[in-house]
Formats: sequence, C-alpha cells, structure tokens
Amino acid sequence: MIPRFSYSRPRSLGDAFHAHAATDGEGAYVVGGTELLQVMKMGLAQFRTLIDLKGIAELHGIEVLADGTLRIGACTTHRQIERSPIVAASLPGLAELELHLANVRVRNQGTIGGNLAFAEPHSDPATFLLACDARVELASPAGRRTVAIDEFVLGPLYTSREPEEILTAVLVPPAGKGGGRGYAKAKFFERPAVAVGVALTVVDRVVVSARVSLGSITEVPMLVPAAAAGLVGAAADPASLAAAARIAAASAFADLDAVDDLNGAADYKRHLAGVLIQQAALAALTEATPHA
Amino acid sequence: MKRVIERPTPPSPISVSVPRRDGIAKVTGSAQFAVDVVVPGMAHAKILRSPYAHARIRSIDVTAARAHPGVIAVVTADDLPDVILRYGHALADHPMIATGKVRFAGEPIVGVVAEDAATADEALRLIELDMEPLPAVTTVEAALADDAPVIHEEAAEQRPHRGFEEDISKTAANVCSHSRQHYGDVDAGFAAAALVIEGEFRYPMCYAYAMEPYTTVASWNQGQLTVWSSAQHPYMVRDDLARCFGLPLSSVRVVVPYVGGGYGSKSYTKIEPLTAALALRAGRPVRLALVADEAILTTRGDSARVRVKSAFDAEGHLLARKAEVLLNTGAYAENSPLVARKAANRLSGPYRIPAVDVTCDAVYTNTAPASSFRGFGAPQVVLAGESQMDEAAERLGLDPLEIRRRNVLKPGERPWPKVRGIDADLGADMELAAIELDWDAPAEPGRGKAICISASDAGSEPVTTAVLRVHADGSATVMCGSTEMGQGSNTVLAQIGAGEMGIPLERVHLNQSDTGMVSYDRSTGASRTTTLMGLAIRDAARDVKAQLVGWAQDAIAKDGAEVVEEHEGVRVGGTFHDWGAVVRAWFAGAGGECIGRGYVRKAGATEAMPPFWEVGCVGVDLTVDEQTGRIQIHKLVTIGDVGCAINPQLAEAQDVGAAIMGLGMATREELVYTADGNLLNGNLFDYRVPRASDIPPLATVLVERGDGVGVYGAKGGGEGALNPVAAAIANAVFRATGARLRQAPFTPERVWRALQERDAAAS
Amino acid sequence: MHEIIEVGLTVNGRPHELRIEPRETLGEVLRDRLALTGLKVSCDSQVCGACTVLVDGLAVSACTYLAVDADGRSVRTVEGLAVDGRLTPLQQAFIDHAAFQCAFCTSGMLMTATALLEENPAPTREEVVTGLEGNLCRCTGYAPIVDAVLAAAAATAEATA
Repeated sequence: MIPRFSYSRPRSLGDAFHAHAATDGEGAYVVGGTELLQVMKMGLAQFRTLIDLKGIAELHGIEVLADGTLRIGACTTHRQIERSPIVAASLPGLAELELHLANVRVRNQGTIGGNLAFAEPHSDPATFLLACDARVELASPAGRRTVAIDEFVLGPLYTSREPEEILTAVLVPPAGKGGGRGYAKAKFFERPAVAVGVALTVVDRVVVSARVSLGSITEVPMLVPAAAAGLVGAAADPASLAAAARIAAASAFADLDAVDDLNGAADYKRHLAGVLIQQAALAALTEATPHA
Repeated sequence: MKRVIERPTPPSPISVSVPRRDGIAKVTGSAQFAVDVVVPGMAHAKILRSPYAHARIRSIDVTAARAHPGVIAVVTADDLPDVILRYGHALADHPMIATGKVRFAGEPIVGVVAEDAATADEALRLIELDMEPLPAVTTVEAALADDAPVIHEEAAEQRPHRGFEEDISKTAANVCSHSRQHYGDVDAGFAAAALVIEGEFRYPMCYAYAMEPYTTVASWNQGQLTVWSSAQHPYMVRDDLARCFGLPLSSVRVVVPYVGGGYGSKSYTKIEPLTAALALRAGRPVRLALVADEAILTTRGDSARVRVKSAFDAEGHLLARKAEVLLNTGAYAENSPLVARKAANRLSGPYRIPAVDVTCDAVYTNTAPASSFRGFGAPQVVLAGESQMDEAAERLGLDPLEIRRRNVLKPGERPWPKVRGIDADLGADMELAAIELDWDAPAEPGRGKAICISASDAGSEPVTTAVLRVHADGSATVMCGSTEMGQGSNTVLAQIGAGEMGIPLERVHLNQSDTGMVSYDRSTGASRTTTLMGLAIRDAARDVKAQLVGWAQDAIAKDGAEVVEEHEGVRVGGTFHDWGAVVRAWFAGAGGECIGRGYVRKAGATEAMPPFWEVGCVGVDLTVDEQTGRIQIHKLVTIGDVGCAINPQLAEAQDVGAAIMGLGMATREELVYTADGNLLNGNLFDYRVPRASDIPPLATVLVERGDGVGVYGAKGGGEGALNPVAAAIANAVFRATGARLRQAPFTPERVWRALQERDAAAS
Repeated sequence: MHEIIEVGLTVNGRPHELRIEPRETLGEVLRDRLALTGLKVSCDSQVCGACTVLVDGLAVSACTYLAVDADGRSVRTVEGLAVDGRLTPLQQAFIDHAAFQCAFCTSGMLMTATALLEENPAPTREEVVTGLEGNLCRCTGYAPIVDAVLAAAAATAEATA
C-alpha cells in the first residue's frame, strides 16, 4: 500500500517551489508517479508531501525550436512522445523507443521528465538521449540552467538535480544533415538488460562523427568514446558499418565494468552490447541516409 | 484444433464445446473471488515477515503498534496459547506464525489487524524485532553438508493426508522425506548394457504466479468458524483448521468463491489458519489479502537436481535406470513429500524399463516452502529422462522417434509391478506429433525438432462424493466439493450431470466448494476432477434415477403398469413423465425433490492405483540465434490424450495453457536466492512469466480413445502438455546446434554458454 | 486526522463526488468506495495489467494511479462495458473463444483491448499481440485472447459495414 502523505497541486513553478520549501526537505515532486509511487509502496522511500507538477502548463508540450532543437516538456507522457508527429519527424528513434518502453499503462501515465529525474539505471530514454547529446533544463527559484545528460545522471537513482529544482524540459539537438540516431536493447525482464545508443553523421558516404552510449549494463548510462571512434571512418553501408561496429565493440567493450546481476553475467552482457551496437548503428544509418 | 476420435458418441451435451457457464460473470466483472468477499464488521490484516532466512527470535516489541490508532489486534505466537500452531496435511511442521525461530525470509512473525489495510500497514512499521541470525542454507548441497545447520530440530507429527501408503522416512537431519522407486535387477541391467548414458540435470525453482494472490476471510460465530478462501482443496483446509482450533469438522465451514488460478499452488492449507487466529484474537471477521510479493514467499515449486544413468542395449532398448533426485523443498514440508514420491515414480517414465532404482529426497532449506505445482514432480525429472533418450539415440545412430517407439509402453502395459496398466496409446500419440512436425522432412541446417513424452500416475486418491438433486420442475442441482479455478469444472461437471440425467444443460445448476453445504471431495488437483467427480456425479445420477423409477412405480404406476426408464424420464403405460413429474407425483403436490448420491472410493473401477495415467506428448520445431542465444520456436505441438473430451474447447485450452506454462519454466522462469537466503526476484518485475509476444505458433490435437476410467472413457488432462516441454526444447536445441542443455531455464545466456562450450570442444 | 481531498470523477458515465485520502489509489477507490470490484489487483506493481481501467480513454494501472489524478476525469471499468446486459462484441468474443479461465486477468485484458480497438478498429494479429504485451495471463497461453480480440474487431466491422 502507498503510505499516507499530504498532497499539493501547484499551477505554476513558483507555487511548486513554495510548496517544496514548506515541506522542510520531506517533500518530493511527482508527475506520473510510476516510479515514485512504486518505491513508496515498497517502503524504499517515504515523503511527507507529494507535489504534483502535472498542473503546470509550461511543463507540457513538444516543439521544435528555431535552431532545430527538439524541446519536450518534462510532463509529456511516454505515450504522447510515442504518438507525436513532431517526434516522429525529428527524432524517430525516440518514438520507436517509447513504443517498446515498459507497457502501455506505464507509457500513458509516466513522463519523460519523471523517468530522467528518477535515474533508474535501466532507463531507456537516458541511454538513447545520451547518444543524442541531449540536455535537460532545470528550474529553481534562483533561475534556470541546462545540463548535459551525462552530467545530470550521476548514479543509480542519483542526479545533479537539487532537491528544490524542477526538471522542466528535455532538449535534443537536431541530427543535422547526414545525421542519424539509433537505439537497440536486449530485454529479458521488465527493464532492459543491455541498451546501446548510436548517433552518427555521414558525409560523402563515410561516417565522420559518432557517439555511442551504453545503458543498463553499468550502474549509469555512459558514453563509450572508444567505440564511437571505431565507427568513424567506416563506409556508410550496412555491411561495412556493422563490421566496424563489431570490431569497435570487441576492444571498446572488453574492459567495460559491467555488473553481474539477474539480467546476466558481465561477460555475456558485454557480448550482447557488441551485438546491439551493430543494430543501433544500422538504425542510425537508416536515418542518416534515408534515400540510400 | 484437430480431434482424433476412436470411441462411442456420448449423450449430448457431453463432448460438446458449450460456452463456459461462468462466462458472463467473468467478462462483466461480477464473478466473486475471495478478495471480493465482504463480511459485516470485517477488519483487515497485514503480516510482518522475517527479513532473515534463518534466525532465532529474541524479542518482539509490539507496544507502539498496539497503541497506533485504528489497530484492533497485534498477534504473535505468544498470543495464541490456545491454538495448535503447527499445521500440515503430510507433516505438521509448519507454524502458522513463527514460534521461536524463523526458517525462511518472508516467514510471518506478527499479524496486525486494523480497521483498514493502510492502518495495519502503518502499524507493521512500528514493530521492533530483535533477531539472532543463524547460518542459512539455500541449496540442497549446502543443506546436506555434514556441518549444515539443522532447520527443524524437532520431529513433526506425520499426518494422514500425505497421499501415499508408506511412512514418511527421514534419512538425514535436513531431509524432509525420502522416497524410493525400486524394482528389477538394476545391477544386471547395467552389466548387460551396450551403452550407458549418465548425466546431471537441473530444473528450476519456479513460482506458479496464480494471478490472484492468496486471500482469506475468517469469521467466528459462537465457536463456529467460517472461512472464505482462495483454496483449491476446501476439505483439506477444513481438516487443518479443525485440528489447529480443536473443532469438530462440522464446526468449520470453508467456502471457496471463484479461484483466480491455482496450478497446484493453492492446494492444501496456506494462510487460512493464521487468518482464523487473527480473527479469533481481534474478535472481528478479518480479511488477509496478500500481495503478489508475499504470495511468492508463500508457496513455490520444488527445484530439482537429477543425477541419472540409463542402460541401453545395442538396439536402444532400455535395460535399467538408476537415479538420485534431490528436491529443494524449502523451509516446510507442505506437499513436497508427495512431490518427491511422484518424482521418483515419474522418472521411470512412459517406457518399459526392466529395472529401476530411483531415490528422491525432499530437502529442507532456508527458502520459501515448496509444494504442489502443475506437473508435480514430472517436469523436474522428465527433462533428465527424455534428454537421455535423445542422447542414447544420438550415440546409437537411431532416430529419436525410433528409440522411443522401441521402448514406449503399449496400452495396458504396467510401467512397474502392481499398478494400473497404462490407459493410453503414447506410441500412437507420438506418430500424431510427428505428422504435425513433418518429422520425416529433411532437416534444415540450424533447425531442430523434437518429440518428448511423459506419463504421470495421476488422479490422487479416489475419495469423492456428489449429490444430485432433482427438483419438482425437473431441473437439477449438482452439489460437489470441486473447485472452479479456471479449468472449467463448473461447465464440464454440469455437462456430465445434464448428459447423465437427460436434462437440458441450462436446467442444471452446479453448487461447488462449500464444506458447509456440499459433500466431500478430497481435492481439486492431480487432474482428477473431470474423471473422479465426473464418476461421482454419474453415480449420483444413477442413484437418483433408480429412486425416481421406484417413485414412478409407487406413485404413477399404481395399477402395476410397467415403468420403463428412458434417458430423460420414465414411460408408464405409454405416457412419458419427465423426472420432475415423477417428483411431483410421489409427493402428491407441487413440491419435493429427489436426492441422489454418488460415492467414488478405492473400489471397483477405481480400485487400481493410480486412478488414471496422465500422459504428455509435446513436439517442438525451433531455431537458435547463435549471436544472442535466444531460442525461437516455430511450432509447438501438443497431443492431448484425454480419453473423452467432455468439452473439447476447454480440454484444448488446458493443453495450451499447460504447454505455455511449461515454455515459461523451460526458457525463462527461475526464482533466484542469494547464499544467505534472500530472494532476488520475488516480484513480477524480475520474475518474468510468458507474455503474448512469447507465444509460438501452436498445433493442438485432442485424442479420444475412450480409454480412461472416467465417464465415456474420460481421464485427466491439463498437466500432461507441460511435463515434456523443457525436454523437447533441450533436445531440439541439440538437434539445431549440437549444444546440449542440462539446466533449465534455457535462458539466452545459458544457451549462449552452451554454444561457447560446443565451439570450445570442437576446436 | 488524515488529510482529505475532495475529488469529482465520472465513472462509467456516472458522476461521483468523493472525499478521499491522497494516498488512495484509483483501484482502492473503485473497489472499496464504489464497489466496482471487477478490477483485480495482482502484481501491485504495474506489470500484470489485471487492474487496468481507462482514464479519459487511456489504459492505466489502477494499483499505482492516484485517485486524485482522476479528479475531473472520466473513468471506465469492466462494469461499464455491457449496456443493459448486452455484452460488447469483445466480451462476447471472449466467451466464444474461451479467452479466459480463472479470469483474474480478464477485466484488465478487456479494458486494454477495448482501448486498443477504439484506437485501431482493425488491428493486425501482430498489433494485437503488441497491444496486449503488458497484460499477463497465466491460464490461457494468450492465443485464445488474441483470437477473441481479432474476432471482436471483425464482428464490429461487419456490424457497421
């Protein structure tokens, strides 16, 4: 059962900060609650007050800014992202990822902001958005700041968000000409066992830049520059890219500090990461070279 | 679905796929389950469970919990001096609430009763436990080690419902029960062997995940106890409750509403004694509704380590088998002594083996108690036995189907001395599976097929009664102690009653599972209900008809006219009278009823044990993704050899459900304990059961040869299609890849490792 | 005293004004306060789908959805499917195909499938499988459930053609 708490439903960020200040550090922001209510039910966390952010209009909505950045309000549900024509056009890998996140009920209720702020080590969006070089926007009474994903998610269930700060939006830069982003995961239980995100840019049929992220396999989603370097220079055809990815993974993932857990032993998961990087790279290539 | 029918046609509506009679209630949300039972004045209970796998309780401080507003009672073992705390139908070794020490993490220590569940939950957090942790053992190897901590210091009382004749035998401190299946000259068999196959196999610790967690409501009234519960065997629960609370059986009423899935996990007594004790101390009716995380800690299936060697002659005939099976039974016996007995029997398999020596020990460990679970010892050992058949075929250069043809029992043949001859034609069943799999088609590289079979001595014990009441309007009520847990007994038993009486199905009503209102049935398990309760209902119908013929003689044929019994009533001097008319005539009015009784016991057709054999025959066709180790099944074939399908749609549904449950256990499901006794995946997040996307293409065949002991040759189904699944997958993976799997579940990681080992061996 | 919040929600077309605690889930409110016991709580962790109800047409897990979040919204439960005792084509198809056994999952399965068919009246088999992926059933092996949803879609298409 969910333990007793008191509840407030602010309509503005200012009201939310006030509500938080009134809780003497025993309050928590909540949006969909799919993660938070669950840990409260399990007795793993207890909060005297929950401050529901869903009523704050500016935390909703998906738009593309003038510079091409995709801005997704923190209170946007997974389902809204999955079905958004804007996301489908600007970051199709995210729409695809959301379609396979948890189940339809969690997607209807849970939000992108809640997911990132909770920092579950097996988060799908965190891994993919890390490859996409996304940032999160945080607001506090002192003002606003943006933080890169890898500077935001610091550990399991641990972020650089201050307690009173509110995650307001996710900002994803455009892929740019010749750019593509892909994601692949292996999942044996409710959450992924291994996930790989790949972003790459193709110029003149050659991969000129790449970012590779790994998630679920380590305690925090992480970039693997050595793997990314292995993709750069590959010819932009599926066979060459897959071969480059395979070779890159063999060395870049060999010393990876993967955790042994129910999802599998570290060596198996490192092996899977090597399989998945090929799939993610090919998905990215498809987006990067749509007419190929 | 295909049907192979080689039996006479029974009267309608038998062998007709009539819609489920609980259908409308179940699709409109009005079907009542235990958690929907509301009793006036009912309070709510929550349980504080042990965080330690093995520990002595130094003290429990409940002061703050008792003082918490809204709390009605806080109950520990010390608060129940007037109650016999240890229950168990086989061995009374299971305290309803911890007494002095705990033997597994999750064992109930304190019960809190409050006005609402949230308040009870809050009060739990105010209880302080002072515990002294003891060394814990979670594996059979650790539990059997010389220096292992003793889990049960005191001997437990043996009880009469253990399900086998011999006494429970204990061969070591942590052995709960030792069983042995021994016949023939095993040494001679091995001495004569041209080929000996030897190996070790492991079957996982699984959770049945009946979606309805255990739920009980208990209410005391003037010394009489009424319990509503999610129990498969209400009469067995009654027995334990009467003993714990010192009541005559007649003072205990156990009512079972619709059960939200059982699969064996709700057989025998679970939380009923504790709930009744809490209600006794609270002075109020109490509901204890567990959540799934608690249900996982209440009952699970026995895991198995099977060491087996089989002797074959040069033509592939089995000569002997010797095996040692160890079951991880957890902290309490529950029904594991019988699981062990059956596992020993079921490794003899559906084959003609001249000499067998199989021992099976149910071993206590500091893990959640294991008990009945669909398949009941069979899946645990069939993996080993059927893998060895394929290994032998490979070594002897025989087709896996051919080696089975040479060994499979023929109809009527006894697998071992003094048992019922097998009432099935498994050899013919295998050929049907081979057709579905296109067995003789040339093998495609990377693709593997397998057919595996099993035979289980099923049906439990024939101790079953039924009452059939014919009312004055000619309608009928069947009263029986069988539970409706989804298998469709509510529909199938009504079909039997209607068919036997010649009364339209819509005029037959079934009352089930209320020990205060319906007559005794031992249990709803071991696939026995259609067969044994079906016979009891048939006999009750015969009894009521015989009475009604006599009544017609007395009341209608007063002038001595001949009374001719017909299917739907009687004909007297050329005039037809339906059964209702006979009732009205005998009572000379508009009311009255005639009561028929049916008794099934170990006599006559049901004297030979087992009451019937439940056979299994499963085929698979699969490929393996060598990169990830994932198995992809392209076809799953079940042959349901059920004698007579009373309701073919529901019989098929049992096979499909069983096969998919078997698929889950074969490929994914396993409870994982840490060495110190904490369950790592005790929730549905991490314990993954099959989902819609996991379902392979299915081919189902129902075979009806009328060869069972039940009505129109019916016999049990619903477990057979589970038992060979893991073995079939393991054998097919070998045929596809050359890698031999010996430890279920065959997760992608385990398959990948087996492929690595294959490659290492080849290089 | 525990904090009480007033909420107004429509359930199966009927408005309700309720005074509830913030901690109460929608499942608790529907089952314990409104006696709509068709939804069942099984895993209590949003995995199994037995407690699925629709809020403004979207499936949610009533076990982990705060009732206050349904304030001002329209909730549909299994009890609201049949009108005047007339089953929906989906309910009828579940009976025809034996798409349940113990039925502890059925209310949730029906609500998930109802939302699925409202959004996509003519799904492919694969779309139905994907759509039901988050609802567990331990009895049927799913095949009859998928058949029933496809049959209901076909029956509805035929009735409106």
